[in-house]
Formats: sequence, structure tokens, C-alpha cells
Amino acid sequence: MQRMNLQQGRPFANGYSSRRVDTVVGTRTESKTQVRKSASPNFVSTNGTRVGRPTSPSRDRLIYVLTCLVGHHVEVHVKNGSIISGIFHATNADGDFEIVLKMAQVIKDGSVRERKSDHDSIKKPQPMVIPARELVQVLAKDVSLSDEFTPGQSCEKRKDLMIDSVISHSHHLETERELAPWMPGEDDPECPELENIFDGTFDRKWDQFETNEALFGVKSTFNEELYTTKLERGPQMRDLEKIALKIAREIEGEETQDLHLAEERGFSYHDDFNLDEESRYSAVRREVNGSGLRENENSDMEAYGSGIIAGSLGLATSGSCSDSLSKKNGNEAQASCNETQASSTSSSVVEEACLYTLADKGLGLSSVDVSSELKSDCIARSSSLEDEIRLDDNQIKDQGGKSERMAIQDSQTSDDVNTSIKSEEVSISAPLYDPSSSGQGNIITESSDSPVRGKLPAASESVDPPIRQGSSTSSSEYAHAESNRPFLSPSTSCGSLSSEKSTLNPNAKEFKLNPNAKSFTPSSSVRLHAAIPDGSFYQASNVNAVQHMHGLPMGVGVGPSFSHQPVFYNPQAAQIQSPQAYINPNGPVYGQQMIVGQHPQFYYVQSYPPQEMPHKGRKF
Amino acid sequence: MEGGNGEELAVGCVLSLRTTLGDEIEGQIIAYDRPSNILVIQEGSSKAGPRRNIRLLKANYIQDFTYLRKAEDPIDPNKCYIDLAGLQAREEASLRQAEIEAERIGVGVTSEAQSIFDALSKTLPVHWDKTVIVVMNEVRVSSPYLPENVIGGTPAANDRVKKVLDFERKRLQVRGPG
Repeated sequence: MQRMNLQQGRPFANGYSSRRVDTVVGTRTESKTQVRKSASPNFVSTNGTRVGRPTSPSRDRLIYVLTCLVGHHVEVHVKNGSIISGIFHATNADGDFEIVLKMAQVIKDGSVRERKSDHDSIKKPQPMVIPARELVQVLAKDVSLSDEFTPGQSCEKRKDLMIDSVISHSHHLETERELAPWMPGEDDPECPELENIFDGTFDRKWDQFETNEALFGVKSTFNEELYTTKLERGPQMRDLEKIALKIAREIEGEETQDLHLAEERGFSYHDDFNLDEESRYSAVRREVNGSGLRENENSDMEAYGSGIIAGSLGLATSGSCSDSLSKKNGNEAQASCNETQASSTSSSVVEEACLYTLADKGLGLSSVDVSSELKSDCIARSSSLEDEIRLDDNQIKDQGGKSERMAIQDSQTSDDVNTSIKSEEVSISAPLYDPSSSGQGNIITESSDSPVRGKLPAASESVDPPIRQGSSTSSSEYAHAESNRPFLSPSTSCGSLSSEKSTLNPNAKEFKLNPNAKSFTPSSSVRLHAAIPDGSFYQASNVNAVQHMHGLPMGVGVGPSFSHQPVFYNPQAAQIQSPQAYINPNGPVYGQQMIVGQHPQFYYVQSYPPQEMPHKGRKF
Repeated sequence: MEGGNGEELAVGCVLSLRTTLGDEIEGQIIAYDRPSNILVIQEGSSKAGPRRNIRLLKANYIQDFTYLRKAEDPIDPNKCYIDLAGLQAREEASLRQAEIEAERIGVGVTSEAQSIFDALSKTLPVHWDKTVIVVMNEVRVSSPYLPENVIGGTPAANDRVKKVLDFERKRLQVRGPG
């Protein structure tokens, strides 16, 4: 006997053998067509190989219904009164329709009149075949006959492992289930204290606010309209509703590239059907377009911070800067940034500076390409550019110049290494570009960078120009000062550092060093500028060839990129451990201490507010 | 059933019928295949939703029926599609689910034992080992599943199982048999 075994994907109706995994085959229509065309005996049943038996539309319907039952839980009643329950597996469509069930069990044994109270006769579920002569009826509940092709239904597969979108069925809103009131089941734990709730009727007359007012004189000021838009119910209500529904449907029906949205809406992801669960539900999405990757900002920032530890404070290569900036582009930027850091040691300081700056800014060119190219450019130019970069950092403060910088950066993108400081600046400043103004890689082409420069000084706040690169923080500060980016990721330490305006506690008391404090034992005279307190935060170790020491106050305690000459630094570093050694970098300290160049003891802690250093000087 | 009544067994008709086994059914005909004598009925109200209760009945078991009314074809023949892959997937899922559930049933155990197993499984990880209930992989409860039959495991676990077993037995007694 030929069995209609649908699992094997044999040639389906009418001998059509092409079956793709997710193709939906219109068996019925095809069958019907065939029937009309000719009564060719070859046509026939769904296994496609059988010859001879003529079909009819009724038979087709029957076969269709049976096909829809595959995998469904059914009950089969047989002649002797027994009932067998199992999962419908196959039927003999060519023959007399005997039923094959899997995981079947006899629930009710008709041959034995009394129901046994113990289950001694229970057997393991097994496949069963019910011959046609025994068959009385087959019952199936909640069968979906797929009259309408709903793409979402293909997603409803597993009951044991359900994902949210399946559970919530957001695209099935119109289907209503038959609701039954919940009654405590037999086995439910009894909670006597709850029983009364089900007994009483819902008292609509009791107003809790009234009662409260009467009892305690508490006036309620709740006004629902404060929290929601009032719906104007009126004759237009229906129309408005319809329009709203229509819009909702349109939106939900939109094709989307986003994997998750597509799944919610029921579209199968058009790209690649080989996605496993990980890539579908848990992997980090790395997309080139800058859309909505802000959520990566925080993580990126931290990554940057940690990456920075290794590097010295050098001038960050413009590439890295731009890379960090383009964190908006997601991990790629981050990765490249990290790579940059790893690769460029000498220029790491700059790198960090830029990174911080960039991080704060939350800037990023939307196009990763730009950043990567810049990066390569920058790396090539690393150390020699320190000076220029320094300057640039100072100038970075200007937010307004962003667009220009952006432009410049853009122009750089395809340039080779040869460029001048200008490119450097550009790269550094580029990060400062206000992301909001940058589109998806749209870089406003501005003419020259002179305007950029021009603006930079204007933007400078309290920081003196002499403050150099070491202060990537400073740069970032400046930048922040100018910018009120709402989107700056707050988590980045850089961000916190630099945003002297936005996140600093205006009421914080300025830290004043108390030279008479006990635990502070400087090796030499206490110098304000020994704001080596930074050192306490940072790992003083990883200093590379960079000569500038730069304590980047990273609120998160990321290793500061200290670059200093060990000879000088270390002894003092130890002392810095004491809280008293913490010097509030604000104020005059800097003016003297900021030494551009080779001074080993330059610590920049410019606008490092006390509260930014949680582990020092602040007792939480 | 005789071959007559062609109109009454047409697709879309709503019938009320009684089978020789005593079932009373009311539903709408989806299909009727004469050679095999199978009648496909859709039961329940004609809900708009895609879900229906389907009954395939061998027409020779119809004792009598009443033609109620004629209604539309419950399936639209132009829109019938079958997603084989989906069906296969569904079947796999159902089988998996059924297997999981089958694991919970003890083979050759009394229904009382099964009730105890079910009650224990609500709060403790349990599985069957022939006719022994194994709790948390260490405590074993063998027939007749009384507190003194609780063996093994750490004292704490053992006590816990004893307590739960005791409680469940009492509950079952209160509920009464069957």
C-alpha cells in the first residue's frame, strides 16, 4: 500500500516534485486544476507515484484535511469502543485511509467494560496503526486548516521552547481565544486567604480615593490625562480607529531588514536561512549603518576604557580617535580602536586621549569605512603628530566645528598618508563631530579647517591651551563643555570626566589638599601638581615610551594611561595611594603643572571633579 | 449510509447527527468521500478564527441525522495551502512534547503512585526508575510510597522529601479517591 507519508517530502500533488523547505504548496488548487483538465489517472494522490485511482474533489478535500492533521494530537475511536490518543502521523490516502499514529495510547479500552482504577495496564506510548475497518471516527481539536496563509504560523513550532514573539503572537491580535474563567484546579495549592476573593462580587461602588480622603484627609490629585492623551470619543471615533488600525497594520506589515522585527512580524528573514539560534537571538548585531547603535555606546566605552589602560597616553592616532568615535557604528569601530591601541604603542597616549574624547562625545562617523581608513592613516602618522594632535585636542572643544571636522575627516578618508597636520586634526576633531548632525556617513564638506581652528579657541573653557594632550580628559572636557549631547553615554568615564558641565555635581566641594594630612608622605615637598592622585587610580605601570604623563581620570577606574618616567614617578606614585593625596585638579594646579612636552610629572587632572573618582576622596 | 441524499451531504451543509456509539454531533460538512465513506465535519460554531474542531466520521456509523441548513463552504478551495515543512516541524515538536510527558508516567505503577509522583513533581525534580520515584537524583521512594519508604540522600533532602510526601498524601486523602 502506498502510504501518504508527508514527512518525506515526496512529490506532492500532481507529481510536482519540487518542494522547498519553506514553500507553501497549493495542493488543493493544483489538484482541482488537474481534475478539470483531465482525468488522467496519473494524477492522483499526494504521494504522487500511485497510478490508477481516480480522484475527486471530495477526496481531495479529505486528503487536504488529513494533511493538515499531521503532527496534531488526535483521538481515534474504534469499533469496539476504545479510544486511542496519539499524534497523527500518516494515512493511507490511496487505500482506505487507515490511520497511523505515533506516541499513541489506548485511553479508554472499550473491550473491558469497567474502567480499571489502577494503571497497571498503562503501556508506553508507541506507534499504532488503526485499520480502516476498525475506524469509527477521528477527532481533532483546534485544527488550523490554513485557509489563509499566515506567515506567522510557520513560526509556531515548539511548545517546549517558546520565544517571546511566539508567545505574544503580536501579529495575531485579531484572533480571539475562547476564554474560560479560571477555577482553582484540583491540584492547585490551597490558599485559604484567597478564597474569599472569589466569593464576593466586585463592588463597583467603593471608591478608594473617597475612602482615603474620608479617613485620612488625603486629597488625591491624580489626573489620568497627565499621563496619557485623552481619547476624544465621538462620531469620528470609528474612523480614527480605522485609520489607526490601518496605519498599525501597514507598519507591522512593512518589510524590514531587522531580524527581530521580521520575526515578530512573521516574515521569514530573507537573507540567510542558516542562521542558528545564537545569531538569531543572542549574538551582538554588527551592522554598518549607524542606525540605533547607541546601545552599544556604553559597552563600547568601557571597552575603550579598558583598552586604554594598556596604552600610554600618547596622542591617539587619529584613526583610533575616529574609531572610537565611530563606536556608533558598533563593534567594528571598537574593535578597530582596540586594534589601534594595541598596535600603536608610542602613540597610545594620543590614542587614549582621543578615545576618551571620542567616547564622551558619543561621536562617531556613521561610516565605519571612514574611520577605518582614517585609522590606517593615523597609525602611519602616529608619534610625530603628537604635537599637532595636542593642539587639536585643545581645539576640540568646539562643537560647532564638528561639521567642519567631519568634512575634513571625510576628505581624508580616501587620502593617503601624506597629509599634514590638517588631517591629523581632522581626525581628532572628527570625533567631536556631533553625531546628531552626521547622518549615515554624510559628512558635511566644509571648506577648510581653518574655521575649525578658529572655533576651537573660542570654545575653550577654563582650560588653558598649554594643557596638552595628556589631557585627553581635558579635551574631552572641552568637548563636553561645549556639547550638550543628550546622547552621550553616561556610562563612559570619559563622558563623566569631560562633562564638566553636564554631569558634575555643581554643589560639590572643591577638594583642597591638606598638606598636613597624616598619611600623605611625599618623597619631596608636597607639590600640588603631584596630582598623582590620579596615579592611585590608574595603573602606573604600563607606561610606554610616551613621555607625557597623563592621568586620565576615568570615573570607572579604568587604568589611567600614565606615561611617565618610572624614575620620577614611582616613588610618588606610592604615596598617592592615600586619599589625602588626592588633589582636586581644579584650579590653579594645572596652570603650572601642565607642561607640554617631556615633563615626566605632568599630570593632568583638570576638571576632574572629586566625585568622579569614587575610590578616592569620596566616601560613598 | 445509503448513496442517496446527495444534496444533504453536500459541502457546507449543517447537520445534526447521531452515531451508533451514542455520540451526538452537530457540525458543518467539509467533505464527504464516497469511496471511503468518510465524512469530514467541522464542529462548533463557525468562528472566524482559523481553529476548528474536526471530526472524521465513517458514515456507516451514522445512525440518523437531521439536515439543519445549508451554509457556505467552510474552506475556500482557492486558498488552501499546505506547509509541509511546518507540518513536519509541528510533528517533531509534538513528538518531543509527548515524549517529555511520557517520561513522567511510571510504567506498571499504581495510579496512587502516579498521583504521588505528580504531586512531588510540582515542587521537586523527580523521575521514575522502574517503580521507584527518584527525587533530586538522590532520594528514592519505593512502593508503597510511605514516609518510611524514603531512602537515601542527605538527611536534609531526605527529611524534605518525607515532609512533602506526607503532605501530599494527606492532601490526596482529603481530596478523596478519584
